[in-house]
Amino acid sequence: MNRRAWERRLLHAAVVGLVLVILAPFLWLLQMSLKTQADIFAFPPKLVFVPTLEHYRTIWDTAFRRSFTNSAIVAVLSTALAMLLGVPGAYALSRARFRAAGSLTLWILVSRMAPPIAFTIPYFLAYRHLGLLDTRTGLVIVYLTFNLSLVVWLMRSFFDAAPRSLEEAAWIDGASPGQGFVRIVLPLSGPGLAATAILCFLYAWNDFFFALILTRTEAMTAPVAVVNFMNYEGWEWGKIAAGGTLVMLPVLVFSFVVRKFLVRGLTAGALRG
Amino acid sequence: MARSAALDRRFHWWCLAPTLAVLAVVTLLPTLYLLATSLTPLNLTQPRTAWDFSQPGRNYTFLAADGRLHGSFWVQLKLSAWTVGLQMLLGFLFALLLNLRSRFLEALRTVFLIPMVLPPIVVAIIWKVLYTPDISPVHWALAALGWPMPALITHPAYALLAIIVADVWEWFPFTMLMILAGLQMLPQEMVDAARIDGAGAWRLTRHIVLPFLRGVLLVAALFRLIDSIKAFPLIFILTDGGPGTVTEVTNYYSYIQAFNFSYLGYSSAITVVLVSATVVLSAIIVRAVGWGPRSE
Repeated sequence: MNRRAWERRLLHAAVVGLVLVILAPFLWLLQMSLKTQADIFAFPPKLVFVPTLEHYRTIWDTAFRRSFTNSAIVAVLSTALAMLLGVPGAYALSRARFRAAGSLTLWILVSRMAPPIAFTIPYFLAYRHLGLLDTRTGLVIVYLTFNLSLVVWLMRSFFDAAPRSLEEAAWIDGASPGQGFVRIVLPLSGPGLAATAILCFLYAWNDFFFALILTRTEAMTAPVAVVNFMNYEGWEWGKIAAGGTLVMLPVLVFSFVVRKFLVRGLTAGALRG
Repeated sequence: MARSAALDRRFHWWCLAPTLAVLAVVTLLPTLYLLATSLTPLNLTQPRTAWDFSQPGRNYTFLAADGRLHGSFWVQLKLSAWTVGLQMLLGFLFALLLNLRSRFLEALRTVFLIPMVLPPIVVAIIWKVLYTPDISPVHWALAALGWPMPALITHPAYALLAIIVADVWEWFPFTMLMILAGLQMLPQEMVDAARIDGAGAWRLTRHIVLPFLRGVLLVAALFRLIDSIKAFPLIFILTDGGPGTVTEVTNYYSYIQAFNFSYLGYSSAITVVLVSATVVLSAIIVRAVGWGPRSE
């Protein structure tokens, strides 16, 4: 074997080592969730042990299950609403030339970047009067603050990249602009739509702050429920680890599914093209 | 073309109108409400304070005299400077490493993204485990090597460092991703030309790669800077702003004023300052990337 090939192998080995170091904290939580309470406190740590699903079973029988359902329902509804409202708007922004485009872009960026507390205070005050505190509806509306902006932001860049010649061909055949959008552009944007929807779902699912302030018991989401294992039931590390793992599971699965689009979504179109 | 521009325009407005209307209701209205609240002494325990505009400037006068707030600016500055700086550095090094042409490395790229896609609350739990001496493998390993480590998150001198380490871990993949995307747009001719002129790896990086990436680096740093103002779950879970106020950033102080002390009016005034900072930084991003009105 020549020298170059050896260098390459060495490099790959170094990168694998780095990956393990970077992922170690994450893997540690995973293995903790499968250990018995006694094994968690055993040092030197047992690297080989009999895995147990005990913690998962315990927390699934508590109120945690309902929080998990809440998280799922709220994330799905807020995603659907944001897509429904945002996709046509993104298309218009991509195709038309509006004089206010600059200020509009800034507005959308700011509502994505503003600290959550900026929205939490007014929503908290308003919801007290509207009776929306501790309701799923309340959370769905709040999540629109960032998800609607995200949809407009991402779908605009997807539409910008889609060729206009096909819609134009449809127009020549007598289709209206609306028909061109629904029959030609939308079906062609399938992957973009799917990736955007999944990212919206993830952002809503990952939210902690809004749910912490705006829910109590009924509409509590999974991330807040996990934290409650820390506050009220003493330090039950096994439960905390199992709850944490359950919260991150959908995220990991979905991220893997859309890994190609993830890059664009996470950098939120910060790079052009 | 035979189609009327007016028809097009009307269609575009019909598409955009619902988006703008809802966006205005869910973001603009609350912002106005926040501004209004910041002009009142609203305290949840005293309902009459709600729409009391008799002394609109009072909260803002308090801001100028509040030592704990000024302390929180300083903590914020330290946290932002260290995390953004380290994330840029690590992100750049990892991007250079992963930019090498190799199927294997391309496959590994996704794995590097895990810290950033995890729910922030899970990241906080992960680090809580690592920082709790009873169950932390790090504490155990260091003690076994004869270097016992103090409990970082309860130690005034190290608590902020603990937050910084966790935050850098969580977000360096973001800067890595952006820089990697920038590197892939680097024209190969530029690199080849510099090589022919005899430039080594260091001079290539210094004189070709870094100037080419200037825009990307700026945008990545600004995005991280704005996000660092929002730091919440890590601080909430790891230190609760303490010990004392050593890890209390402005966002966290505002949260405490609003939801621990019930001073929503004063907290709103602090938040208005934070939002203003976000607007200014976002405007710089929009300019830097050139998303202004399109000039086609």
